[in-house]
Amino acid sequence: MSRPQARRWQSPEDEQAPDLAALMSLVARGDHRAFEQVYTELSGPVYGMVRQVLRDPAQSEEVAQEVLLEIWRSASRFDPAKGSAAAWALTIAHRRAVDRVRSENACAAREQKVAPDLAEEHDVAEVVEATLDHQRVRRCLDGLTELQRDSIKLAYYRGYSYPQVATLLGVALGTVKTRIRDGLIRMRDCMEVSW
Amino acid sequence: MKATGDDLHVLTGSYVLDAVSDAEREEFERHLQNCPTCEAEVRGLRETAARLAMACTVTAPARMEQRVLAATYQTRQLPPLPGSGRQARILHFPRRLALVAAAASVAAAVGLGITQLSTQHQLDTAQADAAAIARVVTAPDAHVETARTSAGGSVTVVTSAALREAVVSTTGLAHLSAGRVYQVWVMSPAGARSAGLIPTGASSLLASAVKPGDRIGITVEPAGGTKRPTTTPVAVLPV
Repeated sequence: MSRPQARRWQSPEDEQAPDLAALMSLVARGDHRAFEQVYTELSGPVYGMVRQVLRDPAQSEEVAQEVLLEIWRSASRFDPAKGSAAAWALTIAHRRAVDRVRSENACAAREQKVAPDLAEEHDVAEVVEATLDHQRVRRCLDGLTELQRDSIKLAYYRGYSYPQVATLLGVALGTVKTRIRDGLIRMRDCMEVSW
Repeated sequence: MKATGDDLHVLTGSYVLDAVSDAEREEFERHLQNCPTCEAEVRGLRETAARLAMACTVTAPARMEQRVLAATYQTRQLPPLPGSGRQARILHFPRRLALVAAAASVAAAVGLGITQLSTQHQLDTAQADAAAIARVVTAPDAHVETARTSAGGSVTVVTSAALREAVVSTTGLAHLSAGRVYQVWVMSPAGARSAGLIPTGASSLLASAVKPGDRIGITVEPAGGTKRPTTTPVAVLPV
């Protein structure tokens, strides 16, 4: 009288993924081991995204380190009622990366640095993981209008402000604001993000 | 120029993508406090933006991990904000239990170790070690790592970063032929130093001057031990 095939709906991915929110509550209490797990989960997305925005590997590493340490430092400020731990952490990360871009741009005497030879590092760091997210984001971005897609990519992946995006794309400020918003909403619906 | 509520509402997307100026951000955050609809939208779009970040995941340079983990030991954490009710305490209890269980197994191993010793000197040393071991295992910041070894059985490392000491206990390691012993090492980028020898079976020893980022390794060595590890470790654990 055994019930055959009792629930097995979890994908292998789900089984592996630790509960970041629960880990964060341990980190907030100073649990280094929980932080190691959080690090394992978030270092790739944090570093990858910061690298996407900043481009320079050395600078990206520095900013990503700051961000990950900030996650440790302000773990008690994470509120699971307000969203996922990943979104909280990546919000901090994006803000830091963008701050770095803007402070550099503000610096008038910005010299063009010759990129050091980083070939050796690239081999290790440049392993782009073909995640499910990657494919889904790609597909959903493809579903946007060109203006929506360009606006979102320039703002998020390049760290441009919406007035800068407007200048680059040759459209009105209000148009960019609207396209970023409705593009993101369409992305949200496309990816069926729960919130 | 003063933006109206409608103008501000359109800003949700740009705000989430950090595409606004500092002044606009402040104004928008004030607006958010009185606009539950905007707040809900911002929340949803934040999750979407997070997916944009996940899509460019790359493996971070390996050296970053050690640096960040080491830095956490020197970085004071912010206290929670007053009134922010937090939940998810579920993991708390089992973890405490795991720690207690680990402490108990260490204590048992220490007891066993002591009974195997004969001379007064050995006994004194063992008792001093036992006291030190108890101090580490009961330290408020005690942190436990356990792993199976390739020589059978398992090894548990309890570390207190504050005391800079680690207790290494083994249980069920395969019996070695005469002339060979298990040796414990504290491994750092600077090299490996011996933390002592362990008899076969269940045993514990104390490793001092342990730093965050160090690893504990166990190798099989000739009787009496060696200055440097000469074989592949049967287990390596972070402290």
